Amino acid sequence: MSESAARALAKMFERMAEAIEAEKDHLSELDGAIGDGDHGITMSIGFKAVSAALSALDLDAASPSEVMSTAATGFLDAVGASTGPLYATGFRRAAQTLAGRENLDLPACRDMLAALSEGIRERGKAQRGDKTMLDVWLPAAQAAATAVAEGRSKPDFWAAVTSAADNGAAATATMVAAKGRAARVRERSLGHLDPGATSAAALVRAMAEAL
Amino acid sequence: MALKTSAPRKGGISRVNGPEGIDSIPLRYGDDPYVWACWLYYEDGMTQGEIAEAMGVSRATVNSYLADAREKGIVNISIEPARLASLTIAQELKRHFGLSDCLVVPNDDDTRPLIGRLGAAGAQALAKMIKSGDTLAVAWGRTILSVGEHLEMASLQDVTVVQATGGTTASFAYTPELTTAAVARAISARCVNITAPAIVASAQMHDMLLTEPLIREQFDTLARANRVVFGIASLRPNSTIHTSGFFESVPLQHYLAKGAAGVLAGRFIDERGRPVAGPLDDRTIGISLEMLRGIGTRVAVAGGFDKVPALLAALRGGYVNVLVTDAATGAGILRADGVTSLDGKLSQRQKSTPVANAYRTHVKKFLNNPNDVVEEMLDGLIAAHKPYLQPIGNSRRALVARNGPRPGKVGLVIGGGTGHEPCFVGYVGKGLADAVAIGNIFSSPPPDPIAKCAVAASGGAGVLFVYGNYAGDVMNFEMAAEIAEEKGIPIRTVLTTDDIVSSPVEDKEGRRGVAGNFFVFKVAGAACDRGMTLDECEAVTRKANDRTYTVGVALESCSMPQTRRHNFEIGPDDMELGMGIHGEPGVSRERIRTADEIVDTIMDNIFKEMKAEPGDRVAVLVNSFGATPQMELYILFRRVEQRLAAKNIAIEANWVGHYCTSLDMVGASISILHLDRQLTELLHHPCQTAVLTINTPETP
Repeated sequence: MSESAARALAKMFERMAEAIEAEKDHLSELDGAIGDGDHGITMSIGFKAVSAALSALDLDAASPSEVMSTAATGFLDAVGASTGPLYATGFRRAAQTLAGRENLDLPACRDMLAALSEGIRERGKAQRGDKTMLDVWLPAAQAAATAVAEGRSKPDFWAAVTSAADNGAAATATMVAAKGRAARVRERSLGHLDPGATSAAALVRAMAEAL
Repeated sequence: MALKTSAPRKGGISRVNGPEGIDSIPLRYGDDPYVWACWLYYEDGMTQGEIAEAMGVSRATVNSYLADAREKGIVNISIEPARLASLTIAQELKRHFGLSDCLVVPNDDDTRPLIGRLGAAGAQALAKMIKSGDTLAVAWGRTILSVGEHLEMASLQDVTVVQATGGTTASFAYTPELTTAAVARAISARCVNITAPAIVASAQMHDMLLTEPLIREQFDTLARANRVVFGIASLRPNSTIHTSGFFESVPLQHYLAKGAAGVLAGRFIDERGRPVAGPLDDRTIGISLEMLRGIGTRVAVAGGFDKVPALLAALRGGYVNVLVTDAATGAGILRADGVTSLDGKLSQRQKSTPVANAYRTHVKKFLNNPNDVVEEMLDGLIAAHKPYLQPIGNSRRALVARNGPRPGKVGLVIGGGTGHEPCFVGYVGKGLADAVAIGNIFSSPPPDPIAKCAVAASGGAGVLFVYGNYAGDVMNFEMAAEIAEEKGIPIRTVLTTDDIVSSPVEDKEGRRGVAGNFFVFKVAGAACDRGMTLDECEAVTRKANDRTYTVGVALESCSMPQTRRHNFEIGPDDMELGMGIHGEPGVSRERIRTADEIVDTIMDNIFKEMKAEPGDRVAVLVNSFGATPQMELYILFRRVEQRLAAKNIAIEANWVGHYCTSLDMVGASISILHLDRQLTELLHHPCQTAVLTINTPETP
């Protein structure tokens, strides 16, 4: 890897912002069906703020951990909502696990995914099957752990992670929402993809492309 | 059946118009032979031959008249909606999943528990399938036990019923042994139990037991099964699987983490029906998924929304070829698998082209840059309400009341997303809220401005947070409370939960906060202003929330400035009951009714929970969601007043107008605060804010 790990992470956030921008309307549409219709907008505001915060950072001097925690603060200060605390906590946990590391090898990526999903899980007090973004992050983290344990190559690692994420997002259509505003519409949430899970899958794909 | 023929028969008389001509149509049918033919057929009960004779045409012509009349919509055949729905769903399920048969019980009978209705239907299905000489494998479970209890067949011979898994020592009634025995008894069959535990301590023990001749013989019987009946369990938190004691909870967590979506006969499958490997696999004694799939007739009996993912997994995996479920679950499975054609088929309405509303794709709004709406609104709002509030430092997302906070007084911080104006900023000022944190549209503010508000509102006596119960707000306010407490400011929180239709009364804490915020803020602000302690402020605010009841109805959903489209469509003749204040769909969609009938539905819901005695006093808020005009609000208030007066409940105070909106939503909500002496005093306590000013001492 010729570029520094901090630069790679910054690039990852850039890709994430692009991915969200591309899916923005689609996400809001999904949210309109079972929520309040603003998920695409909220995510877009959040990742724009992350880009802004990171552009103020000296990437030659910053550590990967600093990049993560800067992203966390930038995201949270811009959006609030429910995605704010969830992703901010996830990024902050990822920052903690990356502390002292200068290399984004596969074990580091695995630990980052694990910390991110664990942070989201704790803050949101949700679990798999609740029709949330966790239905993407938890299987993605699991796939990462399995891929590292099996000594897979880098392309195989990311292929496994993205396919777990995509399957997880698709599966939310079969679930009844148990958390958040969608839980109010009860069984009417069936058949609809969860917008938070859909955007999470887009983020995982962006991660794979950048890293 | 005797025929009543009111029309005089005319067969053979003066066929002047040739063989297919009609002599003369009786006056009452107009000039329409179709109507005449239909009347004779459907109303008078004549046969087609008799009609041909009466009309003087051939039988084939009558036949085509009757067929055409259906096409033209002269005759509509209607099936009772609940039956039609369950039949349609059953047919769709059969088609979509390639089942050999499917039985769906209607959901119109809420008087009996679902398990009982499924059991009866499962018994009906089995009764049609089991033949003499069959071997039927039976899995354990509540629903399958219910099948056994409803089953009754006396005339069969040489039927064997075999337990599909090992046994358990659990104390519940639906153990594998008892379930199998109940089915065997009902059809007078030979009963073969598996005399080994369902789950043993080790893989070695499993292997040893299966070599034991007695158990091997029982398994040979199981292998001969040509039919199997089983339930499907979900892994959702409320599933009996967690409490049944059948599985140990640690392995359950393992399977859950690996993506298990359901359990059949003690085996775990993922959402596509693939087996999920785990620590119990080698220790489970019972039918394997492969064996199960090899059986000719595989009857699954299961229902309930929680089971939709599990049922879908079982169907996708091919474990089921006869499904027995209920209409709501069946529709859920189809929708979950992306079958969208169902909704059209379920509707018995005339096929009419919907009113074209595509002519306008965007809602018109006063906008500059849609992305700047919140900031530009804040510019205007801060300037307009200068007498009451000001920004904290240079943060416009955190505003503090002028003359609000003072030493020794509990500070009141409110907040939430924008789009609800005049909520929440309109309630900041002396005697009411001390500070407000402002988020994006329908989005909670982040922790930072909330924490700034807490610091600004603090007078050394603690700060009370009052806000609506939404996942996002709770997370952000909780993070802010942590920050404030690190700075030595004690924080208490009261979540508003006044929307009584958003969750049943057993889940009162899960309800969301809507327009009733108005009353809860008012009481909290007065308590703080009177110098009550943090404990007292919290207690009385909680009481106000407990005694505030709101129900909302939307006629059209709202549109976001960025999209300028309705968040979702409410049909031309429909309304959404239980509408919240974020443009999210409500609790149920119903046909629109008159204003009085709508108020009656709302008030009936409120009276169900509010224990008001004749002579009690209430405060009333009739609130517009944004686009409903004042005129209609008065019409609603009129009926509210009538209903309260009929119960001899007095209105102490009322407000009718825009108090907590949802952008441009068409709709309204009614909130009632059930007063007691303390709440009445606090309600009348003076306050000065942008939207609410109450008896200030200067202008009583």
